[in-house]
Amino acid sequence: MRSWPPETPAADNAVNLEKALALAKAASAEKSVKQAPAEEAPVTPAEAPPLETYDPWARLNRFTYRFNARFDEAIFLPVANGYRRLPSPLRAGVHNFFANLAEADSVINYTLQGRLGRGVRSLGRFVINSTIGIGGLFDVAEKLRLPKAPTGFGTTLAKWGMHPGPYLVIPLYGPSTLREGIGLAGDYGASYGINLADLYRGDQSWGLGVLNAVDQRANIDFRYYASGSPFEYDTIRFLYVRKLLIQDSSLRPPKTRDSDVPAGK
Amino acid sequence: MKQRLVALALATLLVSPVVASDPTPITPPPAPGPPTGLADLAALRATVFGTPPQDMAPLPDKVPLIEMDLALPWARPVPAVFWFDRRLRVWLSAQKTPAPLAIVISGTGGDGNTAKLSILRAVLYGAGYHVLTMPSPTFPGFIVSASSTGVAGDLLQDGHDLYAGLQVIISHLPRKVQITDIDILGYSLGGAHAAVVKSIDAAEHKLNIHRALMINPPVSLFASVGRLDKLYAITLGLGDAGIERFYQKLYAELANLYRASERVQLDEDFLLGAAASILRTDAEFSAAIALTFRIALVNMFFAGDLYSGSGVVVDPQHPPKVGDSLEETIRILRGKPFSEYFMRVLAPYYLRRRPQLTEDSLIAENRLDVIGDALRDDADYYAQTNRDDLILDEPELVWLQNTLGPRIAVYDHGGHLGNLGDRQQVSDMLAMLSGRWMESAK
Repeated sequence: MRSWPPETPAADNAVNLEKALALAKAASAEKSVKQAPAEEAPVTPAEAPPLETYDPWARLNRFTYRFNARFDEAIFLPVANGYRRLPSPLRAGVHNFFANLAEADSVINYTLQGRLGRGVRSLGRFVINSTIGIGGLFDVAEKLRLPKAPTGFGTTLAKWGMHPGPYLVIPLYGPSTLREGIGLAGDYGASYGINLADLYRGDQSWGLGVLNAVDQRANIDFRYYASGSPFEYDTIRFLYVRKLLIQDSSLRPPKTRDSDVPAGK
Repeated sequence: MKQRLVALALATLLVSPVVASDPTPITPPPAPGPPTGLADLAALRATVFGTPPQDMAPLPDKVPLIEMDLALPWARPVPAVFWFDRRLRVWLSAQKTPAPLAIVISGTGGDGNTAKLSILRAVLYGAGYHVLTMPSPTFPGFIVSASSTGVAGDLLQDGHDLYAGLQVIISHLPRKVQITDIDILGYSLGGAHAAVVKSIDAAEHKLNIHRALMINPPVSLFASVGRLDKLYAITLGLGDAGIERFYQKLYAELANLYRASERVQLDEDFLLGAAASILRTDAEFSAAIALTFRIALVNMFFAGDLYSGSGVVVDPQHPPKVGDSLEETIRILRGKPFSEYFMRVLAPYYLRRRPQLTEDSLIAENRLDVIGDALRDDADYYAQTNRDDLILDEPELVWLQNTLGPRIAVYDHGGHLGNLGDRQQVSDMLAMLSGRWMESAK
């Protein structure tokens, strides 16, 4: 028997109204897609990636998925649920703190991607939140209309034209691809190299790493095998890679119709 | 060859957050599209988007939640591919003081914690009930941990399995939970299960269930399912081409919306807005509804085939092991309608067990008529449904009205469960469960 933090249906219901507004915006966004200038050719159905996902390491991945599910059920999720019972201002502080640390990585990667405006914005956020936001505990920049927009080395590689590569389930972490895995390693390497306030190399680095992981897990509303389905691995793989491809498609400069590469290349 | 079910998954991606928990008050203008002839656009839209937030009944601020995972004594050996479904998982929201218990049963393929169950749980908890939410007997987790057959879909057998499971669960409730009375309800197929469980209890008296309420129940299980099969065939076709086209269209629309939104992350909020602007026509709503049902069927078909040894997609001599690819299995199952499950798995299994049975008598047993006398004569059965519910036809609705008399509320609009949680539905539901309904009718 496991006791969960209480559900808050009244609050969820209020959030629905906000979501409805976002939805209205999305609907108008769609109209602007239709009016987009000709050189920004929209994605056509024929350009959708094939239904198959490139997964040459499927056997290993399936075992890793099962390992992750068991680890999550036995350790990760119970810890995250305990964490969720802490007062929400405290959790928000922890979340903001780690998000602020990650801004350094965003600055580097936006620069590498050649998106200097966004890089400057991340830098601005970092400076504001580290000072007025007391070491990143408060996201003051958000209130100044500088919303969080994190990026990483995986996205940089995508911007440079690298394809996602084979599907890869990373132990303890979850769904990824080879490119995103390299991206994660790159991001960690950069953080380790910069070693802000000695947080990544000092004695406290392990504790902080665990806290970061717990904070991330507590913010993901996913339960392994809640579907009850033996096809969950396949479903998650499909959704994850499709999501990545859609995100990638907005990074590359829009193609013109006649220079299209034949499908499958 | 690989990954053809993925199209279904994209539909899940699109549909599930919406169907699940995030109804919207925005009603985009009806777009032209070929009508399916099975339901009108308003009914389909309500079915997909659910009750808009401004029409929802007030919900309590906080609802406590306990998860119970039980190993049932009669559980069969767990096949390797179902290693995670060993225990029956149910959810309890308990009052601190003595209170009546409301048992709520999920619809086809649903677990014990669906978004629709969350709405019902919140409303019932707010009205002072202990609330126990149960998976559908067609949910893989139930089939593996609690079914006595492994072949889901037979109304009476599934009702008996539910009844047996409920007895174990109730005996394992935390001791501080004091129950003054027991009522049972369910939505969609779960509504029919709730009524059947009460009728079984009326003979066996193990739980002493007081009132039963069916919310948007089917009358003939297989006729209702046949309508969903038909919806699928009309909107997505029988082969792979239709589903591939649907997937490509959804993918392109999502990619374009995402590009225009200039978001950094493709998150749930984005999908929510996207779903509202992508799903607009009669055919698109119908496809989404049909796909949602087909996804549930794929799981049920696979489990039934595996347990019964029918050999449709699972080789009975060499069942799949952990780590084995299931891609080919998914690809085949995705194309199979319920009628094929009935003809190749369900009917052969039950005909083998009960030689006096025929396919026609099995179909007849899977109508609410099997408990028709109880529904007619016992004043503790109630129902709520909608005139435009796509799982019912006119004669079936008339049958429900004639059988239940004043104990059914029929609303003009809402499609299938599209008004679950709205003020009228909730106040009527609470009146029925508390016995106030007939007084106010007088």
